[in-house]
Amino acid sequence: MKEVLNKLHKFSAHPDSRCWYVAWNPSGTLLASCGGDRAIRIWKKEGDSWECQNVLSEGHQRTVRKVAWSPCGNYLASASFDATTCIWAKKGDDFECLTVLEGHENEVKCVAWAPSGSLLATCSRDKSVWVWEVDEEEEYECVSVVNAHTQDVKHVVWHPTQELLASASYDNTVRLYREEDDDWVCKATMEGHTSTVWSLAFDPSGQRLVSCSDDRTVKIWKECHSGEGDNSTDTVWKCVCTLSGFHGRTVYDVAWCRLTGALATACGDDGVRVFKEDENSDPDQTTFSLVVHAAKAHNQDVNCVAWHPKEAGLLASCSDDGEIAIWSYQAEA
Amino acid sequence: MQCENLFPDVVRSARCTAVWQKMASHFSGVLQLTDLDDFITPSQECVKPVKVEKKQGKSVAKIQIEDDGSYFQVNQDGKLQKLEKAKITLNDCLACSGCITSAESVLITQQSHEELYRVLQRNKQGSSEQMVVVVSVSPQSRASLAARFNLSSTDAGRRLTTFFKSLGVHHVFDTGFSRTFSLLESQREFIERFQRREQDKKSLPMLASACPGWICYAEKTHGDFIIPYISTTRSPQQVMGSLVKSFFAEQQGLTPQQIYHVAVMPCYDKKLEASRSDFYLTESETREVDCVITSGEVLKMLEQESLSLSDVDPGSLDTMFSSVCGDELLRHEGSGSGGYLHHVYTHAAKELFGVEVKDITYKTLKNKDFQEVTLEKDGTVLLRFAATYGFRNIQNLVQKLKRGKSPYHFVEVMACPSGCLNGGGQVRPLPDQSNKELLQQVEDLYRAERPVTPEGEERVAELYCTWLQNVGEDRARQLLHTQYHAVEKATNGLTIKWVS
Repeated sequence: MKEVLNKLHKFSAHPDSRCWYVAWNPSGTLLASCGGDRAIRIWKKEGDSWECQNVLSEGHQRTVRKVAWSPCGNYLASASFDATTCIWAKKGDDFECLTVLEGHENEVKCVAWAPSGSLLATCSRDKSVWVWEVDEEEEYECVSVVNAHTQDVKHVVWHPTQELLASASYDNTVRLYREEDDDWVCKATMEGHTSTVWSLAFDPSGQRLVSCSDDRTVKIWKECHSGEGDNSTDTVWKCVCTLSGFHGRTVYDVAWCRLTGALATACGDDGVRVFKEDENSDPDQTTFSLVVHAAKAHNQDVNCVAWHPKEAGLLASCSDDGEIAIWSYQAEA
Repeated sequence: MQCENLFPDVVRSARCTAVWQKMASHFSGVLQLTDLDDFITPSQECVKPVKVEKKQGKSVAKIQIEDDGSYFQVNQDGKLQKLEKAKITLNDCLACSGCITSAESVLITQQSHEELYRVLQRNKQGSSEQMVVVVSVSPQSRASLAARFNLSSTDAGRRLTTFFKSLGVHHVFDTGFSRTFSLLESQREFIERFQRREQDKKSLPMLASACPGWICYAEKTHGDFIIPYISTTRSPQQVMGSLVKSFFAEQQGLTPQQIYHVAVMPCYDKKLEASRSDFYLTESETREVDCVITSGEVLKMLEQESLSLSDVDPGSLDTMFSSVCGDELLRHEGSGSGGYLHHVYTHAAKELFGVEVKDITYKTLKNKDFQEVTLEKDGTVLLRFAATYGFRNIQNLVQKLKRGKSPYHFVEVMACPSGCLNGGGQVRPLPDQSNKELLQQVEDLYRAERPVTPEGEERVAELYCTWLQNVGEDRARQLLHTQYHAVEKATNGLTIKWVS
């Protein structure tokens, strides 16, 4: 059976600018995008077309690099090169800037909510990863500043069920953090990429993590218990699969579909690719196959791919050309 | 390797960075960053632009970097012209907003134990410019070294006195003594600020000023907003600077330059503090504290001499500027970071509300490094104080202040998690020791010394009556207080804007 990636829609989202990132809200009714024009846009499907419902252009002074929805879908966080992170509250069809998180010394590269919705992580070119806590009064406090990376931190992502945080950096490593004695500490470092690690995603169960890099590869890491004594909380994450030879340039983003288990990648060669795990493959030495390659998915670098949370196979991507594309990944009829 | 020099007036940052790295590598052992995560760490490469003599010619030139690290400008005719090495002084570093701190990674050639050795060596070789060498040891450093050698803190203090004197040091003092002045001045300053809180919205909260990491961060990141809140009281190190280069010099009939004053501190950032222009005596061209070495560097010196502190005789203490009772060194109550909260709180409760505080209950807030103390009367909060340690808690404090939501009257702010006893310059744990265990041990040793109240230190009271009275009110203020300077954000072309 042959799989295909059908382009359903393509529209200009951030004209004359880069579109850096797209994120579906948890129910899948809205798509948020952000870009070099300092704006965040909220998109909604109306009939057969995608309409811009809101433009949030007042919050940031520089590029908005990433956006993230809270697990409840009522808040949106935006990370900007102006060194701040904005928290927006959804009020009906409108968004209101609730608070601005300051503290990073320079460009904030990414923001992510923990599954509980009470913790938030941010990372920056200042090499640090910050964990924030929100209380009942919607006040945000910094609970930890971790300086584990030696370079610009590009991405942060939370485990789907646990309070376990992962980060990716220009120092070529991926790091994992947990809370210990009222502070967050780095518990594992994954070394293997030979250049910047741009993005990360956990698999639906949280047992595996996928990373993508400037070294043009995608790596899958699996948690292995070190087994050194019962009280050892340290875990080792081993690389169980490397996808190399598929990407012509930097792989900027990777997304793991919670519904189908398929991996999508966004590449600097303008392509979008989908990989599927081979059936019956050894979990400790697994194999993935490239099943679809949309070679000219966009006119320029593809920056982000995002699987729809409810509709299996629906994929959004965005590019340096400022456009967003919506795809349907399915078996060819 | 070649790069275009697009800024003819300045040397590209890469060059400064190269100089830094070269210098830093020499000291890597000493200057290694601690493995704890919450210290304020240097955040990016140095981007300090350094002015160089502008030579005539085209504004765009090529710079070639040779294997040995020397720089050549490639002129249009292809000729090579050697460029001078950029030198960055500690003051450049302090005045730059390129990175927020910290001294730990910054090499300070004038401030190392090797420099102390050089001065002692010159004295021994009979140099015509003999220096009187004074070493002032902090209570936190002696506790740290006591822990390493299984000694009591006082015992470590006595043995350190013998050790330094055996190297040729003339006097060994205790910064616990100068801390008495810092505490008394902080107490007074708080009362004065509290009384003008209605007229001056920025008089409170008063933020403690003894931690140079915090001061450096505040000046560089929150400048004019935060400075009015910071206590003007000098830290114990810099009060000792006043004592040694003003009072002691005069008493001994010496000029300030004839004294070489070394402070032994738990912290690298103290080196930056000593280098501030506010603590430079312009007339006599000397610093009040010439050199700061850390507890860890003292350990290095002992190793260099193949000595264990336990084998050094516990000689007698130099009591001129030391907090002592007999042959015992004393401490102050409260935190291991100087006890500022304790003393200001106790004093204010009594002075402002007539309440004698017996015990202070510290309430832990978000984490162990954010604690609160309140004085209540009939259900009303009269005083609300906090101890805020570590970068994350400082962040929350500053953000609360910015939003007008800080409920505090006084905050003991320290950049290091767990405060000064856990300073970045303390002796590192042994391989079989956890940092937590060691810290507990250091804290126990610190607390094992008997406490003294600042008011009970007779010789300090005497100095207030004699020395400080004689110099006049203005001069006394200069000797015990300081000022802060907002650092403007760098806005030159070297602040690279990244694309992704």
